[in-house]
Amino acid sequence: MNEILIVAGLGVLTLLAEIFSFKKFIAPIVIAGLLATWVVAALELNGNIYSSLNASVLNMLDFDRYAQSFVLLLTTIALLWVIINYNFFSDESNKADHLSLILFSMVGGFCMVSYTNFVMLFLGIEILSIPMYVLAGSNKRSLRSNEASLKYFLMGSFATGILLFGIALLYGSTGSFYVYDLRVKTTGADFVMTPMFTIGMVMLLSAMAFKSSAAPFHFWAPDVYTGSPSSVTSFMSTFVKTSALAAFMRLFYTALPYVPETFDRIFLILIIGSLFLGNIIAVFQTNAKRLLAYSSISHVGFMLMAIRFFSEPTSVASLFFYMAAYAITTLAAFMVLKIVEENSDGDVSISAFNGLVKRNPLLAGTLTIALLSMAGIPPLSGFFAKFNILYIALNHGYFWLVIVAILASLVGVYYYFKIVIAMFASEPVLTPITLTGKQKILLLLLTLLIVGMGLNSFVFDLIPS
Amino acid sequence: MITQYLFYFLTFVAIFSALLVVFSKNPIYSALYLIVTFFATAGHYFLLNAQFLAAVHVIVYAGAIMVLFIYVIMMLNLNKEVEPHKSTMLKVAATVCGGVLGLVLVAGLRETELTALSEYSNPSIGLIERLGNVLFGTYMVPFEISAVLFLSAMVGAVFLSKKTIH
Repeated sequence: MNEILIVAGLGVLTLLAEIFSFKKFIAPIVIAGLLATWVVAALELNGNIYSSLNASVLNMLDFDRYAQSFVLLLTTIALLWVIINYNFFSDESNKADHLSLILFSMVGGFCMVSYTNFVMLFLGIEILSIPMYVLAGSNKRSLRSNEASLKYFLMGSFATGILLFGIALLYGSTGSFYVYDLRVKTTGADFVMTPMFTIGMVMLLSAMAFKSSAAPFHFWAPDVYTGSPSSVTSFMSTFVKTSALAAFMRLFYTALPYVPETFDRIFLILIIGSLFLGNIIAVFQTNAKRLLAYSSISHVGFMLMAIRFFSEPTSVASLFFYMAAYAITTLAAFMVLKIVEENSDGDVSISAFNGLVKRNPLLAGTLTIALLSMAGIPPLSGFFAKFNILYIALNHGYFWLVIVAILASLVGVYYYFKIVIAMFASEPVLTPITLTGKQKILLLLLTLLIVGMGLNSFVFDLIPS
Repeated sequence: MITQYLFYFLTFVAIFSALLVVFSKNPIYSALYLIVTFFATAGHYFLLNAQFLAAVHVIVYAGAIMVLFIYVIMMLNLNKEVEPHKSTMLKVAATVCGGVLGLVLVAGLRETELTALSEYSNPSIGLIERLGNVLFGTYMVPFEISAVLFLSAMVGAVFLSKKTIH
């Protein structure tokens, strides 16, 4: 709860900065505030500080260990994102808007990972989504950005409508919004799965699959990811995706533990669809941003596998690790992509990466490490993320699903290598790129994190229980 | 008995005008039929003993939101049949999808028995006092957190509509 208060307060402060014209200092203040949030989240996770607000806020939010870990992860992502995309806030005329929208969307993310009441789930999703609809269109002069914003808004609000319909039907069949009530009622011996419950559950699943852009609800993702400014895309595919999937997992973790077993077929369609559609369509993409959008769909396939087999003891930890690894990798990939985009007049086709190693070896190196990690090459973090999840699938007796997932990942290796080959084997057509000292440090830090998280999985248990 | 007849009448009006919203060619007519739909829904709220909700529904939806709708239609000059023609395939696909969803809902919910609401007989259930108690009691956290939602929507609207300085 402390994190929500700090971040919401920071958001209001940025708006006040506009009025009292101390806009120059606001970006450093926000970074300091996020750092403070990070420290608070870390201390709370460790149990060093504990305020009475944290236990369970009027049966609406519960900052249990699950929520605390994800709040810490989300804060880390947001902090890194703000530092990396510092020049997204360089325009004086809309700096405060951008910052406050990001901060408010963080409040939504925190609600989504800690809800114990469906009202809070709905509110969290809305608080996260509405700033995203606006930020997707924040490049007002670009037609593609406008299209992305409108498309995201229309489809997103439709999905929210379906979510509400699903929640209403669940309420109708069980009589409660409170997740632990729902757990008691639906796991009781006398519980009969009425058609109303089933329809409500399917609608809820569809809406959550939409929000986490799993196939076959993924159609918005490539257009929105390509059209939005690169900074916003990187926020969407890290922060928003992490919150959506954490909320998805929490649904079963708290309220409906047996649903993944009962709705097995729906989950398998979502998983296999995401894995194959994402990976196979990505092969034909020539735009690097679109390629990363499709690859993010295929990663959702893996994350959904952790949700499907959530009854395995390590599933939450595996999901957490996958999200952390994926978020760091995506942040690194989008950082490089953005620098390349700025140095090639906004061109993000794969040919813009031609000979990147000769233009700037550090950029090429970081992107190579990031892409190899996404492809799941050992000993990078992406490999262990995938390994953990395949391991729980195997434990659950789904050998064929493991084979399917590995085949889909092999397709992934092909298109990730398309970019790597463009960087190393082609001749550069554009001038060399010079980086600032800050950018160099950040690139090195991200590379270190990607490699370090992989190596760490051997020796150190990063994963919360 | 009279409530039952009222229920069927309101339902008929709501569904009929909702169909007209979709089928009328002129957007202004669609918007006007939508008002009728909102009034019929408000009537349903009355039947459910939720007077305050009914009043708010009429004021907010039939009043404020519809005025905005019609204003936008007039500003963008949409009152001609300027809607781009959709392909037949798309229409068929949309009809099939909507029809299947409708079929599943009707088939699934046809035999559903709702859990009996014990408080249904309580005459004060829909009154504003009761609502206030619930809003500032059980649902205090969502009520306050929705402030963030509205603030971000406001900031977003201002941000999208303000001129960018080059």
